[in-house]
Amino acid sequence: MIQECKTLQGTAIPGIPGRLAVTLAPDCARLVLRLRPEGRAAAGTALGLTLPDRFGEVDESGERLAICLGPDEWFVLLPECEAAAADERMAATATSPFSLVDVSHREVGIAVCGPAATLALSSFCAFDLESMPAGSATRTILDRAPAVLVKHDAERYRIEVWQSFADHVWSLLAAVSREIALDI
Amino acid sequence: MTNARVIDAAETESPTARPSVIPVVAATSLRVPGRGRNAAGAPVRFSFDGRSLTGRAGDTLAAALLANGIHLVGRSFKYHRPRGILSAGCEEPNALVGTDRGKGRYEPNTRATTAEIFEGFCSTSQNCWPSLRTDVGAINDRLAPLFSAGFYYKTFMWPKSFWNKVYEPIIRGAAGLGKPPTEPDPDTYAARYAHCDLLVVGAGAAGLAAALAGARSGAKVILVDEQAEAGGWLLSEPDVTIDGRPAWVWLSDVVRILSGMPNVTVLTRTTAIGYYHQNFLGLCQRLTDHLATVPEGAPRERLWKVRARQVVLAQGAIEKPLVFAGNDRPGVMLAGAARSFLNRYGVRVGERAVVVTSHDSAWAAALDLARTGTAVPLIVDLRPTVSPDLLAEARRSGIEVMCGGTVTDTRGRLRISAVRVNPVAASGTVGEGRWVACDVLLMSGGWTPSLHLFSHTGGKLIWDEDDQIFLPGQATEACRCAGAGTGRFGLAAALADGAAAGAAAARDAGFAAKAGGFAVEGEAAMTGIACRDLPTDRDAAFAKAFVDFQNDVQAKDIRLAVREGFRSVEHIKRYTTNGMATDQGKTSNINGLQIAANALDRSAPSVGLTTFRPPYTPTTFGAFAGYNRGSLFEVTRRTPIDAWAAANGAVWEPVSLWRRARYFPKAGEDLHAAVARECRGVRASVGLFDASTLGKIEVVGPDAATFMNRLYTNAWTKLEPGRCRYGLLLGEDGFIRDDGVIGRMAHDRFHVTTSTGGAARVLNTMEDYLQTEWPELDVFLTSTTEQWAVIAVQGPNARNVIASLVEGIDLAPEAFPHMAVAEGRICGVPMRLFRVSFTGELGFEINVPARYGRAVWEAVHAAGRPYDIVPYGTETMHVLRAEKGYIVVGQDTDGTLTPDDAGLGWAVGKAKADFVGKRSLSRLDMLKPDRKQLVGLLTQDPRIVLQEGGQIVAERDGPIPRRMIGHVTSAYWSEALGRSIALAVIEGGRSLQGQTIYVPMPDTVHAATVSGMVFLDPEGQRLAA
Repeated sequence: MIQECKTLQGTAIPGIPGRLAVTLAPDCARLVLRLRPEGRAAAGTALGLTLPDRFGEVDESGERLAICLGPDEWFVLLPECEAAAADERMAATATSPFSLVDVSHREVGIAVCGPAATLALSSFCAFDLESMPAGSATRTILDRAPAVLVKHDAERYRIEVWQSFADHVWSLLAAVSREIALDI
Repeated sequence: MTNARVIDAAETESPTARPSVIPVVAATSLRVPGRGRNAAGAPVRFSFDGRSLTGRAGDTLAAALLANGIHLVGRSFKYHRPRGILSAGCEEPNALVGTDRGKGRYEPNTRATTAEIFEGFCSTSQNCWPSLRTDVGAINDRLAPLFSAGFYYKTFMWPKSFWNKVYEPIIRGAAGLGKPPTEPDPDTYAARYAHCDLLVVGAGAAGLAAALAGARSGAKVILVDEQAEAGGWLLSEPDVTIDGRPAWVWLSDVVRILSGMPNVTVLTRTTAIGYYHQNFLGLCQRLTDHLATVPEGAPRERLWKVRARQVVLAQGAIEKPLVFAGNDRPGVMLAGAARSFLNRYGVRVGERAVVVTSHDSAWAAALDLARTGTAVPLIVDLRPTVSPDLLAEARRSGIEVMCGGTVTDTRGRLRISAVRVNPVAASGTVGEGRWVACDVLLMSGGWTPSLHLFSHTGGKLIWDEDDQIFLPGQATEACRCAGAGTGRFGLAAALADGAAAGAAAARDAGFAAKAGGFAVEGEAAMTGIACRDLPTDRDAAFAKAFVDFQNDVQAKDIRLAVREGFRSVEHIKRYTTNGMATDQGKTSNINGLQIAANALDRSAPSVGLTTFRPPYTPTTFGAFAGYNRGSLFEVTRRTPIDAWAAANGAVWEPVSLWRRARYFPKAGEDLHAAVARECRGVRASVGLFDASTLGKIEVVGPDAATFMNRLYTNAWTKLEPGRCRYGLLLGEDGFIRDDGVIGRMAHDRFHVTTSTGGAARVLNTMEDYLQTEWPELDVFLTSTTEQWAVIAVQGPNARNVIASLVEGIDLAPEAFPHMAVAEGRICGVPMRLFRVSFTGELGFEINVPARYGRAVWEAVHAAGRPYDIVPYGTETMHVLRAEKGYIVVGQDTDGTLTPDDAGLGWAVGKAKADFVGKRSLSRLDMLKPDRKQLVGLLTQDPRIVLQEGGQIVAERDGPIPRRMIGHVTSAYWSEALGRSIALAVIEGGRSLQGQTIYVPMPDTVHAATVSGMVFLDPEGQRLAA
C-alpha cells in the first residue's frame, strides 16, 4: 500500500504551556449522513451513536461524535477502521432512504485547547464562542475558510476544515499563538 | 499687501512689553516639580528634526516638546505658515509630524499630541523646505490673496491643457502634509471579535460611572478609551474630590475595581473608530507604537470587531478655538490643552500667558498656571460680565481682567510674542487696541460635544439654541449618550449621567442594575457663550483668522463662499475644504457653521452640520487588513498534488481560490515553448494533469435520476450504472451556468463533476431546488470536491501507462469504452476510474481519496516514464480542449448563451417534459437566427494568435465606430495544427461559415475565416482508441 500524504503533515505550532495547545487531531473516519428525520433512531443505532435532532447539538462518546448540521444532515466522526462497517450496517438496518458518504480525506481536524482557546479562535471567528454551549458545534467561517467548529468544553475545541483551507486556518492559529505567547 | 500685517508702533502698550527675542528657557524650568501623572517618570531621550531632546516617560511628543520650550512643530498645509501645538488630544489639527520607529517603520501625519515617546523616539516636521524655521513655501503666505477658497477652479482654468500637466502637479506639490512611506509596512496586524452586553466608549468620568453600573449588575462590559490610560478629563483635573477622595485616588480605585472584575475588559490606547449597523463597532487598539522595544513578532495594532447588546457613548467634548486674526501662531493654544499639559504632564506651556475666552473653563487654566509660576498678565473674556467668584480668584492671583473684550491680532514670527486686545462696548463698537506681551495665548470658545459615533448610526442631531451646540437626538441603535457628549458639562453631571446611562443600558440588556451616586466637591462653574469670529476694529476681509487650521481655511473664505452663492454647509465645506482634513473638522466644524450661518443670516441648524463618517480618527490600512496580508491576504487553495508541482517547477495560475499549475517549463523554456512541448507530448504519447480542483458532488437517493433529469438538460433515466454523460446546467433564464461529466455509480448514486469555479454554486443551486421546489424527492447531496484527488492521464498511451497499476477493472476498449466509469483499485487504494477526455485523446481520470493523490500521481508518473509521460498544466489543457472545440463555461460563455448558441443543442433532452431553463429556451428571443453563436475562427495569417476579448466587425473598412458583431472568447497557438485557432461568439455565426470577419486592433486589422468549432479529429477516432 502506498503512503498517505497529509495536509499540514510535519508542521507544528509551538504550544504555550498552561495557555494554548494547537495540534492536528488524530485521523478518523468522517461520514456525511443525510436522511429524513424518521430514520434518525435506526441510523444512530447502526452508527453506535445517538443522532441529535437539534442544529448544533453534538453526541460524543469516546472516539465517536455526531453533529447535527441541519434538519437532515449529520457529520459523523468514527474510529478510522469503522467506516466500511458503518456503511454496511446502515445498508442493512436503515428504515428510510439515506445517503452516507465517506469524506474522511476531505477534512483536516485541528484541536485547539487551553484556557486561551476561546480567545485564539475569537481572533478570526465572528461567532460568539463564549456563549456557545459546551458540547455543541456549528458551521462557521474562520476568517475566510468555511469550517465546522466543535466546542467540547470551555477549553477544548475541534476545527474540521476542508484540506485546501486548512493551511490558511493553521497560519492564522500560528499568528494568534504568537500574540498569546507574547501576552499582547 | 494687506493692512493686517502693518504694525503701528504707537499701538503697543510699552516698549518693554514687546520682546524682540523669546526668552530661551532651560527645559527643566518648564517642568513643575511633583506635578503630573508622570511626575516620577524616568528621563527619556528623543529627537525632533534631528535635535536630541529629553522628555519624560509617559509624555506625549507634544508634552515633551513643550517641556523643551518648543511650540513650532510644523508648517501649514496651504500657506506654509508656522504652526504649533493647538490641543492635547486626538483633535489636533496642527502638530502633525513624521515618526520613525526604525526598520522601515515610518509614519507621516502622526499627531504629536497622541504619540507617546520612548527612549530613541524619532520625529520630524513636515511640509517645509529647507527647514522648519526657514521654509521657502512660506511665500504662499505672502501670496495668500491668490489662494482664496476655490482658487484653483478660478485661477488655473486656462489654457485647459495646463491643468493636468502643470497646475495640478504644482499645487499638489506645494500643498500637503507628510510624505507617504516608501517601504512596505514591515509590521503585522491582528484582529479580534468580541461580544458583550455593554460597550462603553470613553473612560472619562461618565464612561467610568457607566461601566461601573453595568459591571456591578453582572453584565459583560467592555470599556474602551483612546488614551494611554483611563480617566479622560479627570487626568487634567486633579484638584476635585469624588466621594471624599482626591480625583486621582478615586480614579485609580475605580480602574482597579473594573480591571479586577472577570466580566469587564478595559481597553486603553483603543479608539472606537466606527459604529455600524446592529451595534457593531470597530475598535482600533494600538499595541506596540509606544514601546521602545517591540517584542519579535508582536502585532502593531489590533482591530476589535465588537457586537454589543447596548452601547453607552461617553465621548466627551472638544474645546473650540476662537477665530481672530493671527490665531494660528505657534504659542496660541486651547486653554484646556494648557491645563492638560500642566496637570497631566507637569509642563508649563510658557512663561507669560494671556487668556482669551468666552467660557469659564479657561479661567481654571489661567489660575492653575498662575499658581505654578507662569505669569498671567491678562484674561480677556468676551462676555461683558462673568461670575464674581472668578473675578475674585483672578484678583487674588494678580491677574488683570478685561470683560467684554476682544483679540484683534497677534505678533511673533515663529512664536507668539504679543497679542493685541481691544475693549468692546455694549453697542458692539470695538475700542482702541493695545499690545500685551506674552509667549503663549490660551483661548477657549467653549466646548463641542463629540457626536461622531452617534452620527455614524444615523442618529439625528438636535440644535440647542441656548448653548449653540448640537446634541444627540433620537437614537437609531441600542445606544445612549452620556456626560459632556450630551452637553451636560461638569464632573458631577458627567458622573450622574454616566451612572444612569450605564444602569439603564444594563437593564435593557437584561440585568438588574442601579445607578450609583457620587459626591463631587471643588468643581468650578462651566458656563459660557458661543461666538463666531471675534469682533475687530480692522477690516475683517484682511484678517488671517483661521477656522480650519489643518486645511488653512479662514473665516473670510467661508464668507466668500457664501457671497459666491453657496448655501448649504455641505457645499460650503467642499468649496472651502473646511473640515475636510484628516481631523475631520473636530475643532473647526462648529466655528465654520456659525460663521456661515451669520453670513447667510440664518439659524445654524438650517445651514446644517456635515455628517460624520468613520473612522473617528485616522486609522492605518494595516489595522483594516488585520491578518489578511502576505500569504494570508486571501485563501490559497492547494491540491494534494500541489507540492509535487511546486517541486517540479510549476508556474502558477489562480483559478477561483485555487492555485493551479499553468505549465511546467524546462530550462530555458518560456510559456509558449513549454506549452508547445506539453501539447506535443500529450498528442504523441501521454500526458499527466492534476484535475483535483474540479467540483464534485455525490448525489444519492432513490430519486437521484429524477432529480438529475429535472436539473440538467440531458436525459439521465436511461443512463446505465457504469456510464458517464456530459451534463449541462442552465439557469431558469435558459442560459448556460455550468457543465461537467457525470457518472452513474449505481442506480441511486451519481458522481457529479462541476467546473472548478462553479463547485460551490452548483451545490447551492441543487440544495436550493431540493429544499424549496422538490422537497418530496428522496435525494441527498454531499460535496466530495476535496475527498477525491483527480489525476487525468491523457494520450494514445494512457491505457498502457495505467494498466499495470489498476486492479479490478478490465481496461480493454470494448469492456471499458469512452464515457465508462468503474470502481476499482490503483496502487492498492480505492479508486473511481472515469474514461473521459477533455483533450480529444484516449483519456482516463483517476479519482482516489485525497491523501493518496500525491503517491498515486508519482506512481503514474513513474509508470509513464517509458512513454515519455509529460506533466502538463492548465494552459496546455486549454489548448488541447480548444483544438477539439470543448468549451469552458465562463470563458466561452458569459451568462447569455443558450445551449444552442454554444453549439450544445445535442445535450438538451428534447423529449424531456421539463428541466431547469426549458421554458426560457422557447422564448421568441431565444430562437432568433441572429443570436450570438459560438464558432471557430481561423486567421488568414496562420501565425497570428488573436487577442481574447478582441471585438469582431463585419467589414475591414468603414466609418468608426463600426458595429461590433461579436468577440473572440478563446485563442491559442495550436501545435498540432501548426497554426493559430480561436473560438468566438458572433451574431448568426453559424450562418457565416467560410466568410471573413475582422478583428480590429490598435495598430492593425486581422482578417479571419469563420469555421466549425472542432479543429482536430472531427470524427473522434482518437477518443475511441
